[in-house]
Amino acid sequence: MSQQLIDAIVEMREEDAQAITQQMLDAGTDPLEVLEACRQAMEIIGQRFESGDCFIPELILAGEMLGQVTEVVKPRLQEQQAGQKKLGTVVIGTVQGDIHDIAKDIVAFMLDINGFAVDDLGVDVPPARFVEAARESGAKVVALSGFLTLAYDPMKDTVSAIKAAGLHDVKVMIGGGQIDAQIQDYTGADAYGRDAMAAVNLAKQWYA
Amino acid sequence: MDEPQAPPFVPSAEYLARVKRFDDAVALRKPDRVPVASLAAFFVTRYAGLTNAEAMRDYDRTAEAWKYTTQKLNWDMAPPPFTIFAAPVFQKLGLRTFKWPGQHFGDNLPYQFVEEEYMLADEYDEFLANPSDFVVRKMMPRMATTLQPLGMLPPLHWLSSGYTLFMLGSAVAGAPPFAAMLRQIIEIGEEMNQWNGMQARLGMELAEMGYPMITAAFAEAPFDWMSDMFRGLRGAMLDMYRQPDKLKAAMEIFTDFAIQSALMIAQMSGNPRIFIPLHRGAGGFMSTQQFAEFYWPGLKKLMLALIDAGLTPMPFLEGDYTPRLPFLAELPPGKVLGHFDIVDLDKAKAEIGNIMCFWGNVPASMLVTGTPGQVKDYVKRLIDTFGDTGGLIVDGAVDGVPPDSRPENVEAMTEAVFEYGVY
Repeated sequence: MSQQLIDAIVEMREEDAQAITQQMLDAGTDPLEVLEACRQAMEIIGQRFESGDCFIPELILAGEMLGQVTEVVKPRLQEQQAGQKKLGTVVIGTVQGDIHDIAKDIVAFMLDINGFAVDDLGVDVPPARFVEAARESGAKVVALSGFLTLAYDPMKDTVSAIKAAGLHDVKVMIGGGQIDAQIQDYTGADAYGRDAMAAVNLAKQWYA
Repeated sequence: MDEPQAPPFVPSAEYLARVKRFDDAVALRKPDRVPVASLAAFFVTRYAGLTNAEAMRDYDRTAEAWKYTTQKLNWDMAPPPFTIFAAPVFQKLGLRTFKWPGQHFGDNLPYQFVEEEYMLADEYDEFLANPSDFVVRKMMPRMATTLQPLGMLPPLHWLSSGYTLFMLGSAVAGAPPFAAMLRQIIEIGEEMNQWNGMQARLGMELAEMGYPMITAAFAEAPFDWMSDMFRGLRGAMLDMYRQPDKLKAAMEIFTDFAIQSALMIAQMSGNPRIFIPLHRGAGGFMSTQQFAEFYWPGLKKLMLALIDAGLTPMPFLEGDYTPRLPFLAELPPGKVLGHFDIVDLDKAKAEIGNIMCFWGNVPASMLVTGTPGQVKDYVKRLIDTFGDTGGLIVDGAVDGVPPDSRPENVEAMTEAVFEYGVY
């Protein structure tokens, strides 16, 4: 049954995924096993995204399916889910002055399904908020998003603010439509990424 | 008394030479020199010393700034000033689809689109059954706070008799919130007249100075219209799986709209070049198969219809268009001007070099944070790659040149075509 659920999610068969989840639960399957199947399915989808075999529609639909399964499974979990161990926390947000959230949301989702705790600060986030969030959560990774060229200076300011706050072991990655190596240099960020899997790989590397 | 008639516009030799230079490049014929023409928006006003907030409010100073920058940089065509938008109109409409400088942002940020599900997933049937009624009574109240009283209207076909029009229609018009909205709409129209008046005067003055306008009209790909304006990225992407037929039916409606509105504005303005900014079709957004099924058919139909009417489609291919080059290669040669953002230059040359003129693509990062030397080297590379056919026009990659570009870098972009681009 687990394999059927994995296949249904990976093949984007939304109704089947819901039906199989219900069948599994009705048959007394451990809810954690259902969640584990979801996790495996998301891992495959992440790999397909990285290899260019699936794209944003699939990520969004997979996110929807994950939400639907979690919703029916959650009431049955009671105390037993002590909480999965996370690989680490990533603070993420779109920088001050920029209200674009699409790319930031996709990166946050991919980090989440790859085992990171994600502290999503939203859009138009001032540098001080990033500093505060990194300090509170003890995150070692901060991810800055920005769609427009106006994001260059707020990214630079945010990197400086993190350094000025003495958070020297925090690494900063940047990404967005007009972000490249030149802007990594300009902002003083530790790395930039062209897509969501690049962000996941950087976070894994920095938390290794 | 009749208004005195303005003397008819007689284009100068310079004006005609610029049009020819541009048209030759589009037709993949070698002009005398590589043209440089930018879709710049707020850069134009910033270069002349205005903040973005001022540019959206002080129409006369914006017009002066436009003339100053166009002449100073000596581009082959003037950037389209309609891209700046009038903040007082936004304000009076209570427009929720944008946030803008001086209102929601600091004075030097650009306006930004606020993407929402202005039509919900379960409203397709209602929209498809009666698009106009749905847009007037449901969407407009969501898009603009001033227009919320439109939601008080009955279904518009209820007003199809003298009795109901007189009794029901007039009663709605007299309801205080509706009446207040009507008064506000008159003010909005008057404000828009000011803005449009400036645009018309500016266009004529630029023409008299010898600078043709790049474009006066824009159209959107039908998928983008549904994704940007109706359903949001998330909504449209889910619709591809959950209700593909309804999404396609709605796109059909907006394919016809895009064609008709572009033809209408081209005829009114006399400007044959239609700007088509593209958003969700870039590489990474959807698969090749999804692009072929959902995105490309409407966009191709739009571009072919414009070409049939003797117009020049100018798609702005924002994002990475390398994976879509085989689709672009289906278009007829010498009829389309493709403005590129990110693309593999050598692949573009190989796959569409004999199909469409390449417009762009000095990277935004270089213009904003780089040096004049870097910019000149990049332009030289563009000329080396695309110059052999004449099918090249130089501009920045995105926003024409971004508003926060270093002036010396933009000047270097222009100088480079004079230095390296004489055929």
